Amino acid sequence: MFKPKQNKVMYLIENAPRAGTGRLYNKIVLVMRLTAFLLMVGCLQMSANGIAQSVTIVEKNAPLDKIFKQIEKQTSYVFFYDDHILQNAKKVDVNIKNGSVEQVMQACLKDMPLNYQIVGNTIIVVVKGKARAVGEVVQNTDKGLAFIDVRGRVTNENGEPIAGVTVTVKGSKQATSTNSQGDFFIANTDKEAILIFSGSTVETFEVKVAGRTEVMVKLVMKVSKLDEVQVIAYGTTTQRLSTGNINSIKGEEIQKQPINNFLLALEGRVPGLFISQSTGLSGTGVTVRLQGQNSIFGGNDPLYVIDGVPYSSQMLPTTAGGNGGILGKSGDNVYSPGGNGSPLSYINPSDIESVEVLKDADATSIYGSRAANGAILVTTKKGKIGPIKINSNFQYGEGKVSRSTDMMNTQQYILMRKEAFRNDNLFPSANPSAVLPFVYAPDLTIWDTTRFTDWRKVLIGGVAKYANINSTVSGGNAAIQYLVGGTYHRETTVFPGDFSDEKAFVHFNINNVSINKKFHLQLSGSYGYDNNQLPQTDLTVSSYFLPPNAPSLLNPDGSLNWAPNALGTSTWTNPLSINLNRYKNRTNNLISSLILNYKVLPGLELLANIGYSNLGTKESLPIVAVSKPPESRTSSNRQVYLSNSTLNSWIIEPQLIYKTSMSKARIEALVGATIQRNSNEGLYLFGSGYNSDVVVEDIRQASSLTILNSISSIYKYAAAFGRVNFNWNDKYILNLTARRDGSSRFGAQNQFHDFGSVGIAWIFSKESFFERLSNIISFGKLKVSYGTTGNDQIDDYRFMNLYNPNSPTVPYQNTIGLSLNGLPNPYLQWEETKKMSFGIDLSAIKDRILISFSYNLNRSSNQLLQYALPIITGVNSIVDNFPATVQNRTLEFSLNTSNIKRKHFTWNTTFNITSSQNKLISFPTLSTSTYANQLVIGQPANVVKTYHFLGVDPATGLYMVADSRGNPTTTPNSITDKTVFINKNPTIYGGLQNAFIFNRFQLDFLFQFVKQIAPSNILFGLGSYPGNGNRNNQPLYALNRWPNPGQNTDLQKFSSGSGVSIFNQFNNANSSDIAYVDASFIRLKTLSISYDLVKESTTKGVLSSCRVYVQCQNLLTITKYPGLDPETQVYTLPPLRTITAGIQIGF
Amino acid sequence: MLGELFYLKNKKIMIMRNNIKGIQACYIKLAAYIGILFVLLIVCGCSKLVHVDPPITKITSSNVFKTDATAAAVMTNLYTLLSSSNYNSTPSLPTISLWLGLSADEFTLWSGNNNLAMAAYYQNMLTSNSSNIGSEFWVNMYPLIFVCNSAIEGLSISTELSPAVKQQLLGEAKFMRAFFYFYLVNLFGDIPLVLTSDYSQNSTLPRFSKSQIYQQIVSDLKDAKELLTSGYVDGSASNSTLERVRPNKWAATALLARTYLYLGDLLSAEAQSTAIINYTSLYNLAPLNSVFLKNSNEAIWQLQPVLGGTLLNITPEAAWFIVPTNGPNNNQPGNPVYLSSRLLTSFEVNDQRKINGNWINTVTVGGNTYSFPFKYKVNLTSSNATEYRMMLRLGEQYLIRAEARAEQGNIAGSQADLNMIRTRAGLSNTTSNDKATLLNAILNERQVELFTEMGQRWMDLKRKAIIDSVMTVVTPMKNSSVWNSHQQLFPLPLGDLQKDPYLTQNAGY
Repeated sequence: MFKPKQNKVMYLIENAPRAGTGRLYNKIVLVMRLTAFLLMVGCLQMSANGIAQSVTIVEKNAPLDKIFKQIEKQTSYVFFYDDHILQNAKKVDVNIKNGSVEQVMQACLKDMPLNYQIVGNTIIVVVKGKARAVGEVVQNTDKGLAFIDVRGRVTNENGEPIAGVTVTVKGSKQATSTNSQGDFFIANTDKEAILIFSGSTVETFEVKVAGRTEVMVKLVMKVSKLDEVQVIAYGTTTQRLSTGNINSIKGEEIQKQPINNFLLALEGRVPGLFISQSTGLSGTGVTVRLQGQNSIFGGNDPLYVIDGVPYSSQMLPTTAGGNGGILGKSGDNVYSPGGNGSPLSYINPSDIESVEVLKDADATSIYGSRAANGAILVTTKKGKIGPIKINSNFQYGEGKVSRSTDMMNTQQYILMRKEAFRNDNLFPSANPSAVLPFVYAPDLTIWDTTRFTDWRKVLIGGVAKYANINSTVSGGNAAIQYLVGGTYHRETTVFPGDFSDEKAFVHFNINNVSINKKFHLQLSGSYGYDNNQLPQTDLTVSSYFLPPNAPSLLNPDGSLNWAPNALGTSTWTNPLSINLNRYKNRTNNLISSLILNYKVLPGLELLANIGYSNLGTKESLPIVAVSKPPESRTSSNRQVYLSNSTLNSWIIEPQLIYKTSMSKARIEALVGATIQRNSNEGLYLFGSGYNSDVVVEDIRQASSLTILNSISSIYKYAAAFGRVNFNWNDKYILNLTARRDGSSRFGAQNQFHDFGSVGIAWIFSKESFFERLSNIISFGKLKVSYGTTGNDQIDDYRFMNLYNPNSPTVPYQNTIGLSLNGLPNPYLQWEETKKMSFGIDLSAIKDRILISFSYNLNRSSNQLLQYALPIITGVNSIVDNFPATVQNRTLEFSLNTSNIKRKHFTWNTTFNITSSQNKLISFPTLSTSTYANQLVIGQPANVVKTYHFLGVDPATGLYMVADSRGNPTTTPNSITDKTVFINKNPTIYGGLQNAFIFNRFQLDFLFQFVKQIAPSNILFGLGSYPGNGNRNNQPLYALNRWPNPGQNTDLQKFSSGSGVSIFNQFNNANSSDIAYVDASFIRLKTLSISYDLVKESTTKGVLSSCRVYVQCQNLLTITKYPGLDPETQVYTLPPLRTITAGIQIGF
Repeated sequence: MLGELFYLKNKKIMIMRNNIKGIQACYIKLAAYIGILFVLLIVCGCSKLVHVDPPITKITSSNVFKTDATAAAVMTNLYTLLSSSNYNSTPSLPTISLWLGLSADEFTLWSGNNNLAMAAYYQNMLTSNSSNIGSEFWVNMYPLIFVCNSAIEGLSISTELSPAVKQQLLGEAKFMRAFFYFYLVNLFGDIPLVLTSDYSQNSTLPRFSKSQIYQQIVSDLKDAKELLTSGYVDGSASNSTLERVRPNKWAATALLARTYLYLGDLLSAEAQSTAIINYTSLYNLAPLNSVFLKNSNEAIWQLQPVLGGTLLNITPEAAWFIVPTNGPNNNQPGNPVYLSSRLLTSFEVNDQRKINGNWINTVTVGGNTYSFPFKYKVNLTSSNATEYRMMLRLGEQYLIRAEARAEQGNIAGSQADLNMIRTRAGLSNTTSNDKATLLNAILNERQVELFTEMGQRWMDLKRKAIIDSVMTVVTPMKNSSVWNSHQQLFPLPLGDLQKDPYLTQNAGY
């Protein structure tokens, strides 16, 4: 039956069209679309069939084995019993339609001395009263024979067969291993022999044969960290056998942290991975750098893959007008989409089973052009075999700003302002149209100069509420497993006003295995909706810079206080006016993946991975007239920015997998192909001139409408890839990968490129010479890999010369203009990163100490980036291949120890540390290039060149910097005098985690540490000059200013006006080395305590588990950094200290 | 250790056979589909799979110069860009009236101003640093020159366009290139002469001498004069219209007259301005309060407002220069400047231009009276524009010819031209009757006629070489700054100096 169909396949293959005419191509596309559709339909049917485990048996006077055979036919159950127990059994009558197996069994056996037990998909029939307890042996010996043949089967706890378990006869050389059905056979062995079952994935188990000829063994799977499954590109491996540099983080670790983006839970946990968030708001941008910055400018994001489906690393541009910027960027990428926020915040952290971080070429080269910066794989939760399980989790907590900087109080502020006026020989005036030497200064002349408000308390001192409710239902049998989950998440802000980020997620997973185990289907999907409402701008800035004597926010009647002067003009911008303009971001996100797997022949699998994702964002930013000072409320001041953008992506990846073993060798081969298509669409509108504030968000009522931008782009990607993994006796492992990639981002000449890698591992602890040490070092592996990966992270269409329509509000001469879309470059090529990695993995004292060390050298050349051009060429930059090589060197070390392992008390410690160095190692044409004055060979690729700061001139009170000869100057040459090189990259980072389990208590905490240098915004924040007319408050530190001639201080004198000379010196100092300070920090990132009210293994009640817990994030930060926060660095809301409590209940 | 053991007498491991034929057929079908897909992928070759068509939102360069409409849209966009320039963004050519007015002696900056760029231009304290204050015109204009260059290249090779459109657009592109270079050379001195769109050559260009730049300007303007129509065309670049918002032959002539005057080629300057002045079927001096209306008889080239919001259908000049009744402020759009007393005192008594409500208006706040430019009077949005931003006008041509004639000794001719302007301003005929006093009178007339218009005053001070003597007096009055002669040229942007190793900074920066 199978045969003719296969022939048909072959026929199609032979007649498959070669690449040729466009018509043929269209046909192929049509066929592919049809195929995809049919696959979908097919699997829906499949799953429907698979779920049905009900049976219909209508038999009269039938022998039991006939009934059992019927059950086997109709379900996935298999029977086990001794033939002889049925010999005396009565014939039975059964009449059950669409009943359960249990019903049938009870009906069959009700009057018999037999009993049954269901273990996984196996139904065991035994004589009553002889039901086996664990480990009990049913005696039935063949007496008389000294040597017997023994056969049997090895299964796991779920009754699923385990392949590759070694079965040895103790004290002899007789050995075999189990086949893919878990079966083994040992011929002619002593009937009193002892069988030893062992393997890399199972706990070793011994059994006495005791004359038996059939032995069924259920083994416990090994729990060593070395053998936990690691998801890799197109497959799985374990730490024991992998040749690459991979780290896994379990979902449980992520779910111990009250966060809204799983990336934030990875901070400090993975060697080589550096993550920082841009703000403390929910949905914030997150920068992710794996083993440093490969590309000099932009294109440094890793590849994200969710259940096999690539996922965007960047949002589409947010509302034009830039006001959507409150969420911050995810890295300083110059390529598009490059919007604000992080797309990963639309993935539900509660749905995550594990996250794998792939770093070296061996692990990532098979992803080809997309993984030059590594890959982060997310695997979502899957249903498991077992009875129906309901798991619910309720969590509630609060977050607050935890760090602050001392700012001036009213008295000090007034002193500064008055001194600034004195220094300038000017006088404050209450008259808004004062003429020099009088200057309008309402803070000194109109406002109450004794009033004091701690604006940080008022504007960012609130409590952000955190709530998370999550529930999943899962279960299944050997044929079908399912998981359905829902999550509601809500976070508010610390700002005054009613702002919140609400999210709802639905996640599902269905696994179906056909009865003959040949066909496997897995459908996973999640849909999330996020409604994020925030003020127009981050109030953190106002909270620091509002003068301490600024007027009260509200009038006695509750309206906004604009503190008008004598002429009725407002004297300040009331910060609450920002809250009236509510930024709304509504995002929905669908990620779905379907995996179809068919075992064509033993060892040969055909697999297709099909994915679709859709990320749609709608933003609106209304500006209402009441948010403006009363004197400037006009209809044209009522405005709205609207955006609607969608990222759509589908992918199809057929694969062929072949596994075989010959003597001690195991070979796994994989070939596959990828077709991917992303399309981005966006529309950005601006409307103004409304009659009322109420209707501002209705674009139809705008009297003038501008289309700011429209985006429509398509990215196509196709590839063929392969991998061969050769394993000799779990001792020598060779892993080869290759990929040929094509991307639509390049011109016809350079669309394709080949990537490949070699990885070798030597498990030296398996060598005989090592056996003596095996009591101490239980596992040791050396590995080395080398390979290439690429990067095509540039805008779409950069090889085309394109014109954009430009449509202002009033079209010029009623026609839409066409503007040049930058310079095209038809010669664009792939960027290539060569990665080399050496690693050693050691495990000591029965796997209680695990040590990993790796040395990684990555070199990126032919870099694809925005090559800066002088503006005389007409453009700032052109996307070009850059003739420079950037080297990233990281040393990664991690240590896992099981310090105490007792029955009631365990203590585990995990420590990791990374030392990272980034360097520009070659740039042959640097001196004549446009980067001659910007880059330095031997320095980091993102080096900052600064002046050397010389302090304040005691005579004039102005800053001085050094010229190239070291002499003080106030007019430095910005090209030749910038002699100090600043490295802003983190040089050392890592984390220390401890986990304690004491009876029912569990305590986990994680310290994160980073050594780095960052701009000290506290001295030079926002270009706000101490004392100036923008009326900004200043840090207390500013009081150390130069007061009088002859005095030595660090800070320039105060100044009230727009004194250009003073500003120039201020800018010079801001571009000097004094502006960069140590921003190293140690942070108690996570603390979680839990208590089990119900212990899973003991309870017989309704609840299977019940746990209460407290989780804290960013509890404590130790740093010398003077600014707001060493992680966010700029004046945005710092990461919040969040403390939550929750309860988890399982049924 | 946990383990479970079963013992069975006879072999009874039953592997379930699949007898449900439908399901099995389904598996095989699925397997076949996967197989077909797989094979197709490999066989059909990948290049088709990564081919993309241009996005629907964009037009490719190969198409843009194939149809009259899209080719015209490229030049239309240039005017759109110019007209989009507003004062709250960085300084750019169309907003030069403010910035050069601040640098020269036309504006006083309000004491409460908080705009650093305005303060820097005002106090003649431009510097070369990363903030690029002082280099904005450079940064703004070279990209526009790039548009002209690529348009000239695209138009020149195009064979599909109708000849009239092609000729008109080529003329417009050359005129615009000359217009930009004229301002660049006057603001920065020696500058790179970029005439192609080839970035690899252009990224390492050195500075060219002023005379080389002027040579190119004259050559482009001569070409433009030949190519452009003498009437006005609409957005199609072929149909005629009354809207004077695209440059025509006379715009090229007018700029050529100004260029010759700057170069001291007086005979040519006189010839060019005469050509326009004599073209009375299109151009006549308009009454004072009609000069800046849209499509006025005096307009040679104007820009139509394109912005929305608070600037809908009004000129940015009206929005920014007209001081509201509660005095100057830092709002957006803001009114942080007013006319300097120096400019106000340079008007003669009875000059109609200075009369409130004509070209100047005043507001009194808290005992202080602020005078402000009132050439553009409409600062409230409306559904129809009544005023257009003036780029070139006939009045200047009379003053150009007056100066050219005076320099050549044609006193009577010069007086006649000067008096045309004076008469319109309600003044009596000039009393100057020798070359020196007449030139002085013309300079003064330019100050009060062309005040706060496209930086004419600043450029006059420079070309007449009186900038040092004037600014030495004026600058100290502006927040007690000091005049340094090098400030008459603006600094080159730091970014370009860093990227183009062949560029050098202007002396003094």
